[in-house]
Amino acid sequence: MSRTRQLIDRLRDELGASAPMPPAPPLPRVPEPPARVFPRRHEGSPYAREAARHTTALLGIGHVGTRYATDVVLQFQAELAVAHEAVATELPADWATQNGLIGLRSRVRDHREYLLRPDLGRRLEPESLARWTQAGQHGVDVQPILADGLSAVACMQSGLTLLDSFTQACRARGLTVGVPVAARYARVWLEDEIGAAVSAKVAAILLGERPGLGTGDGLSAYLVYDPRIGKTDGDRNMMSNIHPRGTRPEIAGVRLAVLARAMLDQQRSGVELDLSGLRTELGDVASRAHRAPQVRVRLVEVAG
Amino acid sequence: MRLAATIRSVVHRFESLREVLAKSNAPKSGDNLAGIAARSAVERVAARAVLSNVTLETLRQNPVVPYEIDELTRLFEHSLDEHAFKAIAHLTVGQFREWLLEDQTDGLKIRSISAGLTPEMAAAVAKLMSNMDLMVVASKCQVVVRANTTLGLPGRLSSRVQPNHPTDDIEGILLSTREGLAYGCGDAVIGVNPATDTAESTAEILTAIDGVLKRNAVPTQHCVLSHVTVQMRALQLGCPMDLMFQSLSGTELGNKAFGISVALLDEAWALMKERGSARGPNCMYFETGQGSALSSAAHHGVDQVTLEARCYGFARRYQPFLVNTVVGFIGPEYLEDGPQITRAGLEDHFMGKLLGLPMGCDACFTYHARMDQDELESLKVLLSAAGCSYLMSLPVGDDIMLNYQSTSYHDIPSIRRLLAKRPTPEFDAWIVERDIWDYERDRPGRAFGNAAAILP
Repeated sequence: MSRTRQLIDRLRDELGASAPMPPAPPLPRVPEPPARVFPRRHEGSPYAREAARHTTALLGIGHVGTRYATDVVLQFQAELAVAHEAVATELPADWATQNGLIGLRSRVRDHREYLLRPDLGRRLEPESLARWTQAGQHGVDVQPILADGLSAVACMQSGLTLLDSFTQACRARGLTVGVPVAARYARVWLEDEIGAAVSAKVAAILLGERPGLGTGDGLSAYLVYDPRIGKTDGDRNMMSNIHPRGTRPEIAGVRLAVLARAMLDQQRSGVELDLSGLRTELGDVASRAHRAPQVRVRLVEVAG
Repeated sequence: MRLAATIRSVVHRFESLREVLAKSNAPKSGDNLAGIAARSAVERVAARAVLSNVTLETLRQNPVVPYEIDELTRLFEHSLDEHAFKAIAHLTVGQFREWLLEDQTDGLKIRSISAGLTPEMAAAVAKLMSNMDLMVVASKCQVVVRANTTLGLPGRLSSRVQPNHPTDDIEGILLSTREGLAYGCGDAVIGVNPATDTAESTAEILTAIDGVLKRNAVPTQHCVLSHVTVQMRALQLGCPMDLMFQSLSGTELGNKAFGISVALLDEAWALMKERGSARGPNCMYFETGQGSALSSAAHHGVDQVTLEARCYGFARRYQPFLVNTVVGFIGPEYLEDGPQITRAGLEDHFMGKLLGLPMGCDACFTYHARMDQDELESLKVLLSAAGCSYLMSLPVGDDIMLNYQSTSYHDIPSIRRLLAKRPTPEFDAWIVERDIWDYERDRPGRAFGNAAAILP
């Protein structure tokens, strides 16, 4: 053995390498069966039942250590899967014409490009622009635009109801409303080009918002005065969560018409729009008196 | 200035520092969208090599958005601490990285030069760092702030309770708030994103939350995240408001898209110092996120990491109590997947701390990005290990109004126990007194998760 080797070995011994390992602590006794059994299905606490009357948030779900019960995990994973599926759904190319609307398309060519290139989703492809400039009614007060946005499911489910209530509420306020269109692969700012092409005073795009857990049926609406390319978010007023469990489309349509009327009266939109004089009218429309019962649907049931 | 580097006898040349900064970035879909990303992995390294050789002084002389057209650039130039700047001006970005990493450089030393850094310098050095580099340096930086509670002390991890509701239902908001408190969450702020952006609604929500906090003697802050002009009107209505909120962008044009300017925020801050209800001195809350400037076509050809740093340069003017990068909220066109969101979260936290801000992170994804729940849980642990001041917290991490996935009420106590962290000292005393957490046995107390025990 070399001198170095000896030195290393001596050092190891000094550091306790030759000492035996301390004995492992004894294992606790195996508990008698049954060990603690958790209910397979989480039963709501009184707090959870109270909360369910006011919110879809998952409250009163308890905990195992600091984590979730197994049933909570499975319901959550199912909801996540539903949301991901809603994103993947596309608006059929002939959906607009089948529903009596003029079908337009942005410059996006496919779904992945839609997700990665919002700039293309903000502009009409040339054929659509030419056709729309021909077919649209010019100089109207309000140009409504229905669109897929991030949930074609929402657009197909309650889009027509919202479009209808909005159109009627605008007319009831003496506003002229343009020929309705449905746009595919659309982003919010697409309303600028669509509105500008027909010189509408206000453009209103109603489009599917990004899906939430277990849902994918929410719509948002964005209104802009004097639509033209170059308008920013600060120039717009918006309303989100338009769906049966949030603000119902019938109610949202009326409120959006009030917004449009205010834009036309004040000849502006966005952060500069003064809504203080409309408290009562908007308050009625956005009334909290209406609180839809909020039910979160169980998505997973195990056989047996 | 000659901007070139040679890799395997191929010379890579760059036109401007702005191009070097952009091409040095870790891959981000947002930089591809802007058409400014490196064309290959090799070109990216070449850009980093060039960047590593640029001095901080050169970065100051070449702001990414010209002085003449951007009020933020002017703000950064005029408010720079010359004395602090002199200490580091001669360092190259590569040397600055090493200075930050070496053991003699502790958190206090970093704080001492922080006011001499322009946002571009913080962004530049982040580009030369790996994820773990970012964590190691960020964990040295301590930024302690106070409103009603004291945030950012060593060994602490705070959280915002985010009890959003799609129709601003007050009962729903309060039920969610009480549940969060019962899990030991909410010591950073109880912060509601309102569905309706009006002064009356803002005042109503704040008043309701204030009542719950007072009845339960909870030491924390409240905030409703409506537009700053709406909150100013709400203050004039006479409601309590511990923190005032605004989203920020990294260019004057981006801020115009948000409907704000330096002058407007100066006014808001002055009003808040006069009328805010927290003890202070810190009373502002800002949110940022990579990609926001590009999303309003206000990026001037600058990459999203550098623009994010400029948000922090703007934020520090107002000595905020909270700054939060909402990292995965913006969507896949800016941060496409789990690795990009993870990287961005660690970059933002690092840059914010380096610039002296109390950085939190909303580690999150939207349902159209390619990130899964397990990746998100990992990011929360990475951020907390790096000393992130606070995370969000929601029931099952699910925002039922904004429709995205974030940190949950259950995650906060889980991470605290994993990493031996505690909430703010004031709130810590409250959860012990209420038997929400039992530190003697390091486990949940008898009242843990029992929202019914929190008075409505």
